[in-house]
Amino acid sequence: MPEPTGRDLRSLNLPDFCAARAVLAVVLIVTLTALVLAIARQHGGVAFWLDLGRTALFLLWVGMGSAAALCLLRLRLASMPLGLASALALGSVLVVIAVVSLGVLWLGSSALLGPRATNLLLPSAPQNFFAENIGMGAIIGSLALRYFYVTGEWRRNVELQARARVRALQARIRPHFLFNSMNTIAALTRSDPARAEEAVEDLADLFRANLNEKRSSITLKEELEVARIYQRIEQLRLGERLQVIWDVADLPMRAMVPGLLMQPLLENAIYHGVEPRPAGGTVTVSGTQDGELIELTVRNPLPDAGNAAHSGNRVALENIRERMNLTYPGRSSVEANRVGDEYIVRLRFPHIEDSQRSSSL
Amino acid sequence: MNQRVLIVDDEPPARERLRRLVGELGGIEVSAEASGGEQAVRLAGELRPDVVLLDVRMPGMNGLEAARHMALLPEPPAVVFTTAYDAYAVEAFDAQAVGYLLKPVRAEKLKAALQHASRLAGRQLQRLAARDPQQAARTHVAARLGDQVRLIPVADVYYFAADQKYTTVRHPGGSDLIEDSLRTLENEFPGQFVRVHRNALVSVDRLAAIERDAEGQYHVVLRDINERLAVSRRLAGELKERFRL
Repeated sequence: MPEPTGRDLRSLNLPDFCAARAVLAVVLIVTLTALVLAIARQHGGVAFWLDLGRTALFLLWVGMGSAAALCLLRLRLASMPLGLASALALGSVLVVIAVVSLGVLWLGSSALLGPRATNLLLPSAPQNFFAENIGMGAIIGSLALRYFYVTGEWRRNVELQARARVRALQARIRPHFLFNSMNTIAALTRSDPARAEEAVEDLADLFRANLNEKRSSITLKEELEVARIYQRIEQLRLGERLQVIWDVADLPMRAMVPGLLMQPLLENAIYHGVEPRPAGGTVTVSGTQDGELIELTVRNPLPDAGNAAHSGNRVALENIRERMNLTYPGRSSVEANRVGDEYIVRLRFPHIEDSQRSSSL
Repeated sequence: MNQRVLIVDDEPPARERLRRLVGELGGIEVSAEASGGEQAVRLAGELRPDVVLLDVRMPGMNGLEAARHMALLPEPPAVVFTTAYDAYAVEAFDAQAVGYLLKPVRAEKLKAALQHASRLAGRQLQRLAARDPQQAARTHVAARLGDQVRLIPVADVYYFAADQKYTTVRHPGGSDLIEDSLRTLENEFPGQFVRVHRNALVSVDRLAAIERDAEGQYHVVLRDINERLAVSRRLAGELKERFRL
């Protein structure tokens, strides 16, 4: 996925004030602010509920007006550098506050409400009213901008980390494997050009499967084919030292699985269980279906003593566990055990078919 | 006289390609091929090649270890390592100025490497091995035997005992002198061997019992061979407890 490089990544991350959710949040925040102000002013001689009511009324006008202004300016703010966007957002909120305050003062000086309502609803000290509101608006607005900026940065970090991890998981063909395969192909180019050609085709298919980002799930048949391609390449290099037994005839080949479910397991089995053993070894891939549950098992001999388990193994298993959990939330399992002198990995997941894909096959 | 080369790699296609490239250079003769470290050390002793092209990553004895054993030969060959991808090894080779080739090997680089190949000093190789995070411990220890090197699998060793100058290794085939000090061996194989005395390191698997004779001296009794080794008083209690003897 290409990174959006041209844009300044440090942009202002305001919520979408055109959306109902954000407007509801504004109403809630405004009401709570009014409550805080009313509590703080309780001893001013004005009745509490009356103070709360008129403060809330005033702030609702300010809140709704600001939300409307920010909604209208949304696209423009997003394309501006951070400093300018912040200033514009804050400025527009202050303008709203100024307009609403002037409105209130105008209402007080007009005879529209009558003297009783004027005394109850309007500020007792009109001379400070305007300046106080602008001051409070500037402070609270700045705090809010700072808050939105920090949460936006945080969310962006989380996203970047997640994306980086997915990419790392996908680009996980071992360099060791790549260069050894290249070396094998270089050797075959002269001695057995037909096999060299096949090996290049296999390698291309394998990389295509590894680089595939769009299709997160494929049929079991396709996944097993990728694993077999991997085996063919390793076979050229390891010769008779590598034996693989496939016992997968009972599997429902149209079941959908996350891509690269099997191949990394086979890769691990060969890398840890066969390559380090001078005499080589046999990897067994077997699959069964029990009702709606599919079980895949990969077993390989343990390397000779001294070559303890590598951490790379655990990374691959965690990766598979994570992706299975995304595909079948709570309905899959990954087990890895040493049993006697064998290492056994067992995957269990529900049988799911993609109706559109299977009808088109 | 032609330069004589020994090719060592566990993968048949890799050997095949090197053989062809070496053949095409001219003036160089492939004296033999080996598919593993042990075979390579044996062939290096028998055929005395000028240069060994040695794969780093091999099952069993790897290239670094094979090179260390070859360095004990009276006329050790020059060594050029080959590797497909091994970031640690490449870094270490650069640091120690050791010749290496990256696979797939280019003909002109092979030519240059063979021309400039040099013998490696034992100390240089030890430093290389120390930098290898995967496999610091050797699979074999090596004893000089005439103009050959005898490899003794570490797993077969009963014990190591120190004289004034040499270390004796006792194994099913008898006993041999090696150049490693007890301290080096103790550090290289922790868990596999245990110190029972200032001058003896015993295989943990061979410990059978600890006995005390009439004079109050402690001895370890070994499995499979009828030999006893003195145990220092200080270590006797610790050993009894640790191995439940």
